[in-house]
Amino acid sequence: MKFERNTLLVLGLIALAFPLLVGDQYLLHIGIMVLLYAVLATSLNLIVGYVGEFSLGHTAFLGLGAYTAALLSLRLGLPAWATIPLAGVVSALFGVAIGAITLRLRGPYFVIITLAFAEVLRLIANNWVGFTNGPMGLSGVAQPALLADASPLMAKRFYFYLALALTALALYLAYRFVYSNNGRAAVTVRENRFVAQSVGIRPFVYAMRAFVLGAFLAGLAGGFYAHYITFVGANVFGFAFMVSMIIMVLIGGKGTLIGPLLGALLVTLLTEYLRELQELRLSLFGLIVMGVVLFLPNGLMGFLNHRRERNQSDDTADTATRVQGGPA
Amino acid sequence: MDMLLQFVANGLVSGAFYALSALGLTLIFGLMRVVNFAHGELYMLGGVMGWLATTVLGLNFFAGLALTLAVMGACGWLVDRFLIERVRDQGEEPSILLTIGLSIFLTNTALLLVGTAPLTIEGPLPNKPVFLGPVVLTELRVFAVAACAVLILAAHLVIRHTRLGRAMRATFQDPMAARLAGINTARVYASTFALGTMLAASAGMLLGSIYSTHVSAGGVVSLKAFVVVILGGMGSFAGAIVGGLLLGVAEALWGGYISTGTVDIIGFIIVILTLIFKPYGLFSTQVERA
Repeated sequence: MKFERNTLLVLGLIALAFPLLVGDQYLLHIGIMVLLYAVLATSLNLIVGYVGEFSLGHTAFLGLGAYTAALLSLRLGLPAWATIPLAGVVSALFGVAIGAITLRLRGPYFVIITLAFAEVLRLIANNWVGFTNGPMGLSGVAQPALLADASPLMAKRFYFYLALALTALALYLAYRFVYSNNGRAAVTVRENRFVAQSVGIRPFVYAMRAFVLGAFLAGLAGGFYAHYITFVGANVFGFAFMVSMIIMVLIGGKGTLIGPLLGALLVTLLTEYLRELQELRLSLFGLIVMGVVLFLPNGLMGFLNHRRERNQSDDTADTATRVQGGPA
Repeated sequence: MDMLLQFVANGLVSGAFYALSALGLTLIFGLMRVVNFAHGELYMLGGVMGWLATTVLGLNFFAGLALTLAVMGACGWLVDRFLIERVRDQGEEPSILLTIGLSIFLTNTALLLVGTAPLTIEGPLPNKPVFLGPVVLTELRVFAVAACAVLILAAHLVIRHTRLGRAMRATFQDPMAARLAGINTARVYASTFALGTMLAASAGMLLGSIYSTHVSAGGVVSLKAFVVVILGGMGSFAGAIVGGLLLGVAEALWGGYISTGTVDIIGFIIVILTLIFKPYGLFSTQVERA
């Protein structure tokens, strides 16, 4: 717990200083994408890592957030400070509805039904031309007004801090959730459903809370995405986003707070710097995913935590029984 | 009214292919409990292999089909022995991730090697129309549906009346007891996966001869196969066939009367409704143990 909190604070300080030290728009853009993905991976991790169910439909909430923000901005002319929170709220409401249906199912059924919801939403977004502009997508989402006469570099810096604020909010909420009774109950359910039920934990209630929080965070990320990219198309519901999120949570280590951040950083950088291998990139991704599943089943953080715990138990064999509060 | 019959006939034709590829998945997903997201890619590889065999190697359709089945069967065997084997008995999640990785790898590697152009497989019969009362089909479609039926029957016979089939049924009822009775379960799992792969690949090649196939077809096929398996009931032979035909007809009617753009939505609506109201499917043979 302490280790995780301190690492998060140090990472936050580094991120705060980053735009002041770097004056390159391209690097800032990559930084913004890392933060955006960090929010998404954190939100997915709440479901995959803490509920212990595998959602392949998390893009539903990203897409709902992005479309909500874009539509509110384009149709009603609301400013970004209103649309992004509303995007989160709308996603959370859908999270309640979708969670109420999907969380009754487990294992492969949950995987398929969440995927089905995301696909239904994608098809609706792609075909309801009157409302979502169909395959043409929604373009020209307004940038925040105070960027009207800022230089491109300043705009990037503004977006970076906005993304950092969202990431901080996401991690704060996730941290509070994970280290609350809610989070502990969710972990108990994940580890052993029947033991959890026998001590009075109702799995559905806790899974639902994690699910709705995840939906809310993904919706915020979607809202940010709409304003930053200024274009929203049905691809936000697509499988490509889903695959990136999964890989990030997986490589970083599910069920830890730092893991998804690490995953977001690694995967975004890899995607950028493997651009020269454009053609081979996705094939490599596939191989990396298979390799991680086979050789690093708990991700990088799982591996590091394991090392750390082993070292500690070597150093202080007598105090080894004191649990370090790290995630299971 | 005439149109209705035509839609139903078209639906039954595509339903036959859904049934064939779902049959492969019902073996892998329903019985082996491997949530195989690479199933559509195996189907796609079947189409690509068929195209390679008939167009590049110049074999005739039947020799090409035999070659495709042999190669894809071997691929399925290897995938099971080298990948799935290592995550067996670890629950669904590793197998989901592993097969998602496999599907990304297969799609993009095939994309690199073959390109995005649609591949057409030369069918064994001409595309001449056949009139059955008010319904028009082509000879090739009638042939392909017949081929589907033959393959489904063959798979049924293998599972019901061979030593291997008996070993499979024993293994999926109780792996431990099967092992105690001297069944090499690792080999049974690999054979089942190979059989599932061959069914998917044959569906890919047959459908490639009617329409055309392209390397990114896999994702949709996987999803539809899952829809059919869930609708029909996990591991149920009859369920996969009825479910496939139902999905085919439902899609044809939706496309005919409502809108063609949203045809794919029907499958997802079916799966959501099935999981809410009849989660074990229409024909489930086993009750889910908690």
